[in-house]
Amino acid sequence: MTVETPKEAWTGTVREVTLGATADQGGTRSRTLTVGAESTLPFLHFEASIPNPPALALEIRDRKPDDWSPLLYEAWGDVMDDPAAWAKAAEEAGADLVYLVLSLTTSDGSPNTVENVRAVVRKVLDATGLPLAVIGAGQAEVDNELLVAAAEEGKGERLLLGLCEEKNYRTIVATAMANEHLVQSRTPMDVNLAKQLVILINDMGMPLERIVMDPTTGALGYGIEYGYSVMERLRLAALQGDKMTQQPMIVTPGEECWKVKEAKVGEGVPETWGDWEPRAIAWEGITAAALLHSGANVVVLRHPENMRRTRSMIDELMSSKAAG
Amino acid sequence: MSRYIATHAIRGANAIVQEAEELLERTLKEKGPDTAVAFPNTAYYLPFILGMTGTEISKIGELPPILEHAKKLLSPVPTDSRWLPYLGETLDCGMATLFAEEIIMALKFVTGEQPEKLPGLQLAGSTSFTSPDNGGGPNGNGYLNGPIDDIQLRSWGIQLVDGRMPGFAAIVGAAKSNEVAVKIVRELQRRSILTFLIGSSNGKSIIHQLMEEGVELGYDTFTVPFGTDTESAIYPLGFATRSALTFGGMKGGQAKEILRYNKERVFAFVLALGEVDDLKYATAAGAINFGFPVIADTVIPEILPTGVTTYEHVISMPFNEIEGADDLERAEKLVQKCIEIRGVKVTIAEVPVPVPYGSAFEGEVVRRADMRVEFGGKNSRAVEYLFMDEMDNVDDGKIELIGPDFEDVEEGGAIDLGILVKVAGRKMEKDFEPVLERQIHYFINGASGIQHIGQRDIAWIRISKGATEKGFNLKHFGDILHTRFHSDFGSIVDKVEVTIITDPDMHAEWLEKARAAFNERNVRMGAMTDESVDEFYSCTLCQSFAPDHLCVISPERLGLCGAYNWLDCKASKQINPTGPNQPIKKGTEIDAEKGYFQGVNEFVQVASHGAVQEVSMYSIMENPMTACGCFECIAMVIPEANGIMIVSREDSSMTPAGMTFSTLAGVAGGGLQTPGVMGHGKFYISSGKFILPDGGLKRVVWMSSILKEQMAEQLKAIAEREGEPDLLDKIADETICTDVEGVVKHVTEKNHPALSMPPLM
Repeated sequence: MTVETPKEAWTGTVREVTLGATADQGGTRSRTLTVGAESTLPFLHFEASIPNPPALALEIRDRKPDDWSPLLYEAWGDVMDDPAAWAKAAEEAGADLVYLVLSLTTSDGSPNTVENVRAVVRKVLDATGLPLAVIGAGQAEVDNELLVAAAEEGKGERLLLGLCEEKNYRTIVATAMANEHLVQSRTPMDVNLAKQLVILINDMGMPLERIVMDPTTGALGYGIEYGYSVMERLRLAALQGDKMTQQPMIVTPGEECWKVKEAKVGEGVPETWGDWEPRAIAWEGITAAALLHSGANVVVLRHPENMRRTRSMIDELMSSKAAG
Repeated sequence: MSRYIATHAIRGANAIVQEAEELLERTLKEKGPDTAVAFPNTAYYLPFILGMTGTEISKIGELPPILEHAKKLLSPVPTDSRWLPYLGETLDCGMATLFAEEIIMALKFVTGEQPEKLPGLQLAGSTSFTSPDNGGGPNGNGYLNGPIDDIQLRSWGIQLVDGRMPGFAAIVGAAKSNEVAVKIVRELQRRSILTFLIGSSNGKSIIHQLMEEGVELGYDTFTVPFGTDTESAIYPLGFATRSALTFGGMKGGQAKEILRYNKERVFAFVLALGEVDDLKYATAAGAINFGFPVIADTVIPEILPTGVTTYEHVISMPFNEIEGADDLERAEKLVQKCIEIRGVKVTIAEVPVPVPYGSAFEGEVVRRADMRVEFGGKNSRAVEYLFMDEMDNVDDGKIELIGPDFEDVEEGGAIDLGILVKVAGRKMEKDFEPVLERQIHYFINGASGIQHIGQRDIAWIRISKGATEKGFNLKHFGDILHTRFHSDFGSIVDKVEVTIITDPDMHAEWLEKARAAFNERNVRMGAMTDESVDEFYSCTLCQSFAPDHLCVISPERLGLCGAYNWLDCKASKQINPTGPNQPIKKGTEIDAEKGYFQGVNEFVQVASHGAVQEVSMYSIMENPMTACGCFECIAMVIPEANGIMIVSREDSSMTPAGMTFSTLAGVAGGGLQTPGVMGHGKFYISSGKFILPDGGLKRVVWMSSILKEQMAEQLKAIAEREGEPDLLDKIADETICTDVEGVVKHVTEKNHPALSMPPLM
């Protein structure tokens, strides 16, 4: 008996977005990263075309962070002391995108400065040929100062700048427009808020082809199902033809997972939790895998081992393309 | 369009284009066509020409076609016998003027006449000129600024785009006195408005005036002196053009888009001080193309009809006729007027009160023992009343206390209080008065140590001893309201004035006035029916947790949470145009009684992501409106009594359905249409459209007693209108019974009308 595979005829397509610019395009990247453009749910190759595989980013910092898990210090080693070396290591680990997050302070505890940010961005751009994201420390006033400097330093590189949030997006969008970059919009797990922020950013004159949408996620066991459902609904709306939800999605499972107890704590936890290191890495890896299934186009990771594992999962799921 | 202005502008344009032609011919002859021509430190060539035509000018030889273009835009000066030029011609002449001015200034850079020399001038931050002919120094010592360079354009541009800088003012001419000049600039600086200084009047420029008074000019103080001739007005307009190219993602040649970008996003205006000559009229006509209005402090004809600019085009405000105690006050008013005309929004960040302020304090209770003084409640009367007035009648930021403050009131005592809020705004509507007035409750409650309950003439406010010790006084209510109305409702309200009244006579007078207004509002709200409007509103606020639910809010059916009625939604749409409250065109009426509308169905299908295909606005039995979970009440059919019951959120007792409110909520919520069950707002019960096709209020056989109490008056009125004056007695409540048998018994005993109505099921 043959069973007909039911196919949904979607009318919408996820918008195609390209990060980074090569020398021909006015930048200095050795390659660019294109995400989006699919007209079906993740990995359903039998239904419609999925031209671009989901991409993997590795998060690095402008200086060695104070509060990361010892497992991450162990995994990265000395490169964490130098953002350029770290970026290079991320490239070697197989990242498609270097996700540089700025800190509020420099390593001696004094406030981060425009000069420092310019120097770091320059160094990282020189050290790697990958497209680069530059993300603020998360305080509006500081971000607006530092990101403007980063945007100017990387002019023409089609950086991804963030985070644009409902309360603070105008400065970031303005500097991104003036310096030919893209922006990451972030909203707290809500379909309508995600859509609204895209509209607001677009209203300022930023083309939709330069907006990547971050609907926010939680770690496995810490609200991932809520985030998953929001992403799924955003994607369904996009495929149904709702233009303002058609942005590719980026999420940060690395940041979320490495702050939960299951990943952070090695001692004093129930024995049934198993060994610390494999548990912690699995926590990030499984979260990332789930998010890719809910439609994430870019996931930002912290542990290099998950770069390998997630990549192999994506490769396998994308190779079924031929079988489709 | 004023014929007078048109005549002068067209004459000015013809003259300046001719001057540009002569200068171009002469310079071409002297320097040759291959001589480079450029403004310093910009990648945008001659920016106005680039923006409007897409031509990248780098040599003198490339200028003649631009001049020819300008000439084509000219029209002949209107003769005395011709009465109907003008707007189109005048605006075109304005464009021609700007082309000519940019050509002239570019050529003057070639000949070393720009930037203009002004001995003794030291700028705090300016465009640097690399050519040794142009002063040699990086800081333009002895020179005016000339065009703004690209670095500063980016820095200011970002602030203009993200709103930190509200806009820019181009001041042309000279003020009545040096003192007035300084005041005007200070008023603009105080609001972070960028100030550009241009031109002269009777040989004197505002730049001279400010220099004489020792005012520091330059980038660092947000004041840029471009030149003492009118032609240098091209520099700020070139700046405006470049900001559209840089921040608007536009390309050279997209003239229409660039001009529209400026109209919609760059909040700039021209302030003409002193006599306005032909060239100034012509240049002003150019500025109007950008949507920048012109305000003059002399008598000139006004151009009021709106269109090219957002509001008025040209306003005359003769300086000596401005109301004010002295010239300084007049200067302040002049600036205020400019801001209004251009619609520049100024934001105030902090609420200036001596106690902590934030929404965290909203629910705070001030107990009698901690109370310093109270207004309203049992021992005194408090009234709050917000109303709109004409722009000119509202003095923004004015906070007045009429009568004594509370320091002489004994501890724990009470006095009468009136809070009057007078607002004005371009987008303010009479209908928004109650919407804004209700915010007073939230705004005042935000202050730590202050408790606010109620509204209108039943407001009740307490101030704690702690807040009093920190220095809180009655005027602070005004500070709170002024700040919050601007920050939260800035898109509706441009001006806010607050009067606090404790004086007994005034209080009595205003209480009377307020009550009359409240009464009028009630009547107006009562008269507002679903038939009287073309649009309903959506509310998708709750889709975050009920993804497929939306409320359709009409004048006669408020949101199920009770927090949003039709007017709230209308105001909310003004404040947040892309937000959760969007207008829904009713479209074709399919069934008036059940409330089916083509437009509503179409909207609901999309907004519920296909989950709901049809919705009846008024029926509980057929395609009822869905609910999220925030409903004030749940209505549910009791088939045995051929009626419905209504449970209030505040009623925790058992109901005849065999479930309490919280259990019922699970059945009613989640965005599903369940015939026979419906979540709704409390005041929907008193609406003329309450379950209209199912029989209205006469269908109600059981109702939480708290609803009966809270809505006693309204319900009684409806009962009488329906010819059932004793209806409320016939309706059971939880004090009478909490089971179906009890309801049936009660309605039978009382001969409830539902029993003789057509069967519900």
